[in-house]
Amino acid sequence: MKKRIVATVITLFICLSSFISVSAYTDSHILDASDTLTNSEYDELESYATYIENTYGCCIMFCLTDDTDGMTGDDFAKEVYSSNTDNADGIIITHDLWNNSYHIYVSGNAKQIDDADIDAMLDAYDSNEAYYGGINDYLEKAEEIIAETVYSYEEPAKGDESPQDDVPSNDTYDGTTDEKGGVPLWRIPVALGIGFIIGFLIVYGIASKNKSVRMQKNATVYTRPGSLVITGSADNFLYKNLERREKPKQTEKK
Amino acid sequence: MSAILEQKCPCCGGAVEFDTGAQRLKCPYCDTEFDITAMPEDNSNQVEQVSWNSQNSQWNAGEADGMSVYACNSCGGEIVADATTGATSCPYCGNQVVMKGQFSGALKPDVVIPFKLDKKAAKAALKKHISTKKFVPKAFLSDNRLEEIKGVYVPHWLFTCDTTADASYKAEKIRRWSDENYNYTETSYFDVYRSGNMGFDNIPVDGSTKMPDDLMESVEPFDLSQAVDFNTAYLAGYLADKYDVTAEECMPRANERIRQSIDDAFKDTVKGYDSVQSQNVNMNVVNGMYKYALYPVWLLNTSWNGNKYTFAMNGQTGKFVGNIPTDKKAVAIASFLLGTGIGALIYGLMWLIELL
Repeated sequence: MKKRIVATVITLFICLSSFISVSAYTDSHILDASDTLTNSEYDELESYATYIENTYGCCIMFCLTDDTDGMTGDDFAKEVYSSNTDNADGIIITHDLWNNSYHIYVSGNAKQIDDADIDAMLDAYDSNEAYYGGINDYLEKAEEIIAETVYSYEEPAKGDESPQDDVPSNDTYDGTTDEKGGVPLWRIPVALGIGFIIGFLIVYGIASKNKSVRMQKNATVYTRPGSLVITGSADNFLYKNLERREKPKQTEKK
Repeated sequence: MSAILEQKCPCCGGAVEFDTGAQRLKCPYCDTEFDITAMPEDNSNQVEQVSWNSQNSQWNAGEADGMSVYACNSCGGEIVADATTGATSCPYCGNQVVMKGQFSGALKPDVVIPFKLDKKAAKAALKKHISTKKFVPKAFLSDNRLEEIKGVYVPHWLFTCDTTADASYKAEKIRRWSDENYNYTETSYFDVYRSGNMGFDNIPVDGSTKMPDDLMESVEPFDLSQAVDFNTAYLAGYLADKYDVTAEECMPRANERIRQSIDDAFKDTVKGYDSVQSQNVNMNVVNGMYKYALYPVWLLNTSWNGNKYTFAMNGQTGKFVGNIPTDKKAVAIASFLLGTGIGALIYGLMWLIELL
């Protein structure tokens, strides 16, 4: 019983930890889950991305991660984007360091960016050996493309609640619409599921106290005080087993 | 045919009872109190032996085995009891009687722990036991009826011994470290051996087949330092059985508990490992002795919904045990409500985390 409760608490802790690992990026443009960038590098890139959004109204994000929380790369990119901004227009590139793969999610008016421009952004990042330099190059390229491409169209009228309606249908990377703010709905059944398991274990634990009749396991209470004397003791080493697992490569970019 | 013994008041002739508060014999009619030692062990002048022979042959062979018939010294009424009954009350006049033959010679208990708690305490303990439990069916709380409450001296065999034992364990040490490219886990396996001595005093094993073993072990422990030499006067006012499970038959249970205790104690000395598993325990019992004791237990029987529920209270310490039915519907509802609340809390925490 205790083991089950401990297992559930650990499961809950892991689940909450996974939520925290995603939501730690909240309100950021540069998301460094793998802790690759220094603080000053991060601040510099973040302020640059913030400047781009304030200037052009388009959110440019970049995410370094080594864990996609069990999601596919594309879903993870979409999840990170929608969890960190309420700006309907934007683009995010996620770099999964564990698998060394890139995933792109484009939202709203940023969908006007064509494949060639997105490849150019990726190339800008990829061509620089350092993470900081690569992300900086990516932001510069993105600024250049946004300035030329995205905002050459007519801005939607104020009060228009669905800017995605105006998005051209030649969706390059992701044809789905953007989720706006809040916690994704799929987390409701997860939260309730965890809640029901914990609730049942607590109630079951209380109800099991209604049974108080059971055989004694031992006779420890009848041990004569001071009678335990250890006369022989041996701890013999038998053998050892060594397991080696490769670490995720976090220090190398490619 | 058996002889019975009644503890009579020298003042008024009424049947005296053992008073748990005063720890003396007391006459409920004239309130006179007597020391246990003041009462004769055997009032032979009042003992009557009556032969009862069946006048017809209606009993099949073996059908009456295990049955004894006694005659009440006070009213002459016929008391039918099973073969192990050692003390009971006359169904006609209510006098407490002790079947002295059940406790004579080799059957005489070595010690007895007198009742310290009375019937009122047992009733109060039952009420408290039920009222403090959760998810008990409401109908059980309101409809369950206390059908019977009886103080019983339950025969126990007490085993005292020294043991020499050796035990082996399989133990593991786990070491983890990392370098730039790899995580390492090294598991070292050990064969651990311990030997030693251990002594046990008065491990009780239920000597009555009438009493459920798990119920009797649940009301343990009893404080044997308060035990006194057996005297039939302590049985006055209570039921008592003689043993019908011999000491030899109880030894395997005592050995089982001893073996587990040794295993636990030796295992506690195996330190410095991440996991320890018992392999085997070999023990030798030396200086083994056993004695026969009567332990005081209050038994309370209730009925509800066609089922009988038996509760037991240690008549010395007041430890109360007994299984209570659980309202499965209430458990399901409580699980649902609590689960929903916890789920909402978790979801709220997610919101908060998102907002931070």
